[in-house]
Amino acid sequence: MLLPARTAVLNELYKKGNATVEEIMADLKCKYGTERQFTKKLYSDHCMALEANGMVELSGYELDDAGELQMEYRITDDGRSTVHKYVAKKYQDE
Amino acid sequence: MNSSKLLDTQALAETKMQSLNKSFHISGIGNGLVSGLTYGIYSTLVVVASGFNPLASAAGILAAPFVCSGLNDLFAGIWLLFYNAKQGRLKELWRTLRTTPGKMLVIGFLLGGPIANGAYLVGLALAGAYAIPISATCSLFGALFSWIFLKQRPTKRVVAGMLLCVAGAIVINLVKPEGAPNFTLGVICALLAAIFWGAEGVFSSFGGAMIDTDVAVNLRELISGLVSLFIVLPFIGGGMHLLAGTFAAMTPVYWLIASGLSAGISFVCWYKANATVGTAIGMSLNVTYAFWGVLFSVMFLGQALTATIVIGSIVIVAGAILVTMNPLDLFRKGE
Repeated sequence: MLLPARTAVLNELYKKGNATVEEIMADLKCKYGTERQFTKKLYSDHCMALEANGMVELSGYELDDAGELQMEYRITDDGRSTVHKYVAKKYQDE
Repeated sequence: MNSSKLLDTQALAETKMQSLNKSFHISGIGNGLVSGLTYGIYSTLVVVASGFNPLASAAGILAAPFVCSGLNDLFAGIWLLFYNAKQGRLKELWRTLRTTPGKMLVIGFLLGGPIANGAYLVGLALAGAYAIPISATCSLFGALFSWIFLKQRPTKRVVAGMLLCVAGAIVINLVKPEGAPNFTLGVICALLAAIFWGAEGVFSSFGGAMIDTDVAVNLRELISGLVSLFIVLPFIGGGMHLLAGTFAAMTPVYWLIASGLSAGISFVCWYKANATVGTAIGMSLNVTYAFWGVLFSVMFLGQALTATIVIGSIVIVAGAILVTMNPLDLFRKGE
């Protein structure tokens, strides 16, 4: 069974420390890529909501070659301890 | 040349980021206001539904409110299933239920759903629109439970807001309206609703931030509706009979389908507001439902407009806003 998408996004940032929405999606593509909810909009929403809850913070932003805004997020101490406490070990290590 | 181009790109990125932040803020405030408005509509529509037979003439004080709250929540849950299906998120419901934060949320839903919603509607049935602002004291209890169980000490501002909520509730209770023999019991029920809504919030602090709120809201409404109708209602005398009679009459069911839609929109918008402008501002905007609820009751349900309900509502909403945020921040962030 897969983790819920928002939890998977936080778990991914837990493993990487720092990543853009696109990098997170690239890593999760093999598991979630076929789902209709696998869109940049919904995954950006997940990052923003995690940010509003203090789980992650915006670490930088820049324009890509297409002129689109790329946002990069970093996990916070709160986010790290939440994953540690509430995400099963097997998902953390995967 | 290259460095000036780089600077241009940086400036453009900064402008885009600023406009993105601004649109987040505006949509967050908009969602918060819509959540308050639709919660007021939901509260009014449920009262309209309960005015039809067999709900209007049901015996006892529990059966009709529980049929209403159960059907309303179940319909809200079904509306939200359509919404999440459209986004391709149905799988998320089961995935969420299997996680520890999801299970903790479910415990909260049982308190906030069947217990608090049921009590809120019993309160509305017995005390009329007076129950609406009383239930808005839930932010007081949320802050109180966070203090007791999560050791989050309230600031002076929060304590002042709590005292204002209490003062508002006392003002509302000062003059009992005529023709409402169980008025005080109704107010107590609305207060019970506020207590359990406050307690519900505590259960989201166990990793609830990792859960997609659109999915959580869907689970909440479905679980609340199913538990109210099929676990609580059979224990209420004549409850299942009343449920069958309500479906036979159909008119109240149509009104509850509409109230379920308002409740569903309200919850989705509320959580969206919380996730964009923060829970404090989101909750403060949501609490404006007390104004809308009272206003619609006066406009459409023949609720008498008295000085105590007007002053009490304003004091409670002001207190609830003070508990959740520093009102000055609203202006600062808008700059």
